[in-house]
Amino acid sequence: MHEFPLQTGLTIATVGLLLAGLRLVAPAGKGPETRHFAVIVDFSDSVALSPLSPHKEPEAALVPKLPAGKLSLLDDSAGVLDHFYAALWRTEKREEGAVTRIVHYGDSPTTADLITGDVRVQLQKRFGDAGHGFLLVAKPWAWYQHTGADVSGSGWQMAPASRFVSHDGMFGLGGVSFTGSGSARSRMVFGNGGYTQFEAWYLRLPGGGEFSLWADGRALGRVDTAGDSKAPGFAAFRTESATAELEIHVERGSVRVFGITAEGPGPGVVYDSLGLNGASITVLSRMYNEQHWAEELQHRNPALVIVNYGTNEADFAEFVDRQYEKELRDALRRIHTALPEASVLVMSPMDRGRRNGGEIETMPTIPRIVEIQKRVARETGCGFFDTYAAMGGEGTMARWYAARPRMVSADLIHPYPGTGKMIAGIFTREIGAGLGRYKLRVVGR
Amino acid sequence: MHVQPGSGIYFVFVAAVFFAYWASAGSRLLRLAVILLANYLFCARFGLFYVLLLPVCSSLDFLIGLGLMRAGRPPIRRVLVALSVGLNLSVLVVSRHMGVLLNRHGWDWIFPLGLSFYTFQSLTYTIDLYRRDGEGTTSLLSYLSAVTFFPTLQAGPITRVTELVKQLGARPALGRADGGRAFFLIGIGLLKKALIADYLAENLVNRVFDTPKLYSGAEVLIAVYAYSLQLYYDFSGYTDIARGSAMLLGIRLPINFDRPYASANVTEFWRRWHMSFSNWLRDYLYFSLPGVRGRIMPYVNLVITMLLGGLWHGVTWTFAIWGLLHGTALAATRGWLAWRGRPKQPASPWRHALAVGGTYHFVCLTWIFFRAGSVADAMTILGRIGSLTASFENVTALFAAVLLVGAGAMFAGKQWYALAMEWFAGRPFYVHAAALLLVAVAIQFLGGRGNAPFVYSRF
Repeated sequence: MHEFPLQTGLTIATVGLLLAGLRLVAPAGKGPETRHFAVIVDFSDSVALSPLSPHKEPEAALVPKLPAGKLSLLDDSAGVLDHFYAALWRTEKREEGAVTRIVHYGDSPTTADLITGDVRVQLQKRFGDAGHGFLLVAKPWAWYQHTGADVSGSGWQMAPASRFVSHDGMFGLGGVSFTGSGSARSRMVFGNGGYTQFEAWYLRLPGGGEFSLWADGRALGRVDTAGDSKAPGFAAFRTESATAELEIHVERGSVRVFGITAEGPGPGVVYDSLGLNGASITVLSRMYNEQHWAEELQHRNPALVIVNYGTNEADFAEFVDRQYEKELRDALRRIHTALPEASVLVMSPMDRGRRNGGEIETMPTIPRIVEIQKRVARETGCGFFDTYAAMGGEGTMARWYAARPRMVSADLIHPYPGTGKMIAGIFTREIGAGLGRYKLRVVGR
Repeated sequence: MHVQPGSGIYFVFVAAVFFAYWASAGSRLLRLAVILLANYLFCARFGLFYVLLLPVCSSLDFLIGLGLMRAGRPPIRRVLVALSVGLNLSVLVVSRHMGVLLNRHGWDWIFPLGLSFYTFQSLTYTIDLYRRDGEGTTSLLSYLSAVTFFPTLQAGPITRVTELVKQLGARPALGRADGGRAFFLIGIGLLKKALIADYLAENLVNRVFDTPKLYSGAEVLIAVYAYSLQLYYDFSGYTDIARGSAMLLGIRLPINFDRPYASANVTEFWRRWHMSFSNWLRDYLYFSLPGVRGRIMPYVNLVITMLLGGLWHGVTWTFAIWGLLHGTALAATRGWLAWRGRPKQPASPWRHALAVGGTYHFVCLTWIFFRAGSVADAMTILGRIGSLTASFENVTALFAAVLLVGAGAMFAGKQWYALAMEWFAGRPFYVHAAALLLVAVAIQFLGGRGNAPFVYSRF
């Protein structure tokens, strides 16, 4: 044989044998298999005979695979959402001043107003636009954004409830406390012509300073935040004509501000998108001062509170199995205690993928979280929306990541805007169906 | 299942070719037949139609080559080379762009194995013969086995066919040290790809380029730096694997990268980045354009060459801007050097560092357009960086460590790399085997992400 490179051949053979042996020790490991040799010369699989082929539509990634017998993605049995439906029906009937307020607590997608922004648009298209709702006064995260409103602020010290530093637990309705003095400024620009009713949400506190509000460059009023003790403060203002640009200036001393609500006269829907990056259910069950949060919620008086966490918890399997249910029950108890009349809806997380040996798979904790949420919601008088099932259940992230054009970000967590719109569409469709069922029940009584 | 370089099946394939090749090495005919069979098996895994298309195109080029070897009259030679250019450009354009037309009529047109590198390689043969820059071959088998040489087929390095023909025709030899060098290249290539490039891509780069608005300006900037390293380690990793695979058959392929981000200007960058491509553009496109010796045209030609080089990656505005930026920078550098004259003394370390930093950041700017899905996306990324917002919640300590190791290894002196290779090459076979096993285990347990396609395999 012509000068066979024996040493090199031995190396290849040894590596092959070692890797094959490794498979015996660790079956999950990859090593050469006899089928690899066969694959090289086996053309019976999908190796194309021609570059030209009839166009085939990609696999329908969007069609939800619902469990057999499941009628609805929204569980509103036992009338748990009736308070909300009643308010929504009044709004739909255009009763004077009938404003349906929805408060939606969520994590990073909500921070960017993904899904929630589209839900707001879709609900307001059907039921009327009564305002943008709650806005933080600056961006605690670069990606804090709201559809239809632009927020910028400077000079504020920001303390989000999701940073696991509780301080005094007073984070306002939106979950972020902004402390500012002389140089602090905020500016909000509303896209659709503006609003006429504004309310500043702040903390009254001993020695509190003063801030002012400006509407389209004109002074709207000043707010003195001094108080005997720490307590929620609210200052409402009206403008004669729609205001598209609102500013906040700190005029004196130091103030703690939580946010601004922007509304119109109604009737219509107001949808508060309250997203905290990296948040989990413990924000509501632990980080908030219960009394403070209750007062904030009571002042807002929403018809529906949506609790939409679970994605970040999925990283911690032990927490999910041992602690998650208790935290969820605590959070829901706090809301029910603060707002005994309001409807509460637990909205499950979306699918969350992870890469495993080149394959994308659903994180095993996600279906477990969804099951816990479903059970706890039923047992605590809450509605439940199964976002996970609405997307298509297990493996959805893999399908959506593989879809062309792609539907989710490479982090396998965040939907692309178009995907968020699609999920929002399913959610609002289910809300509409639930409202229809409610009307039939009420008329039938 | 494709025989994607770097995948398990690819190495099983290479091992099979290795044993078959060296078992038949005593006969030139047999070993060329083994290479040709390997080439076509490699292509067939992507689509059986390649086994028809490539021999037909290659045989036509071979016949044109025979004509060029025999024809003395310039008009005939011009016609022959024009035929070859037309044929290869047609293959390139049809394979890549016919889909757009056909999709409108309900058909898909899919070439999973891009033919860009094949056509570039193929053109080196006929153009070299036309320019009398190389020796042709009268052996069809020799030509066919060289022009579709499987390690270079997917993403280069683009190798002159005349050089491959010469090497494949010579009596092969592979000493222990060369075998060790081949394993070193393959091992390093795998580590570059799986532990650095894929890690950076999956843990920040892809996410940020997908949805830049979700990240702070600082994170987007870090992602752009990370992408520059991802692209380098991905492509140079591929090249290492290709060179190592070829070396196992006693064939030497040209190097493709030489610490490109250590360049002090854009001209130097292109002498160090994707060298086989930039050499091809220079030798076969730039020198073919009119006015090479004029005063103005060389500058215009640089811009045209890089614009076409950009559009070769894809006919989009982003690639056009990428090419225009590089072409303009090359022309500006050439103009600056012509005006200032070559410096008589080397630049001071600070000045050199400034030049390297400036060049690197310019290249990063162009990579934004190269990677972004559209000009609007690229502008969004630039806008995020310009927002000057700073938070690092998405940059983990491990990611930062991989980024720093990647940057450090990139700037490390190449003498260290050469020393390591020579030390490794001199070890006995069981050390080579153990090292390769460690690489495989490390990739499985540390990388654990499967193998994503090489970035350049789509061009």
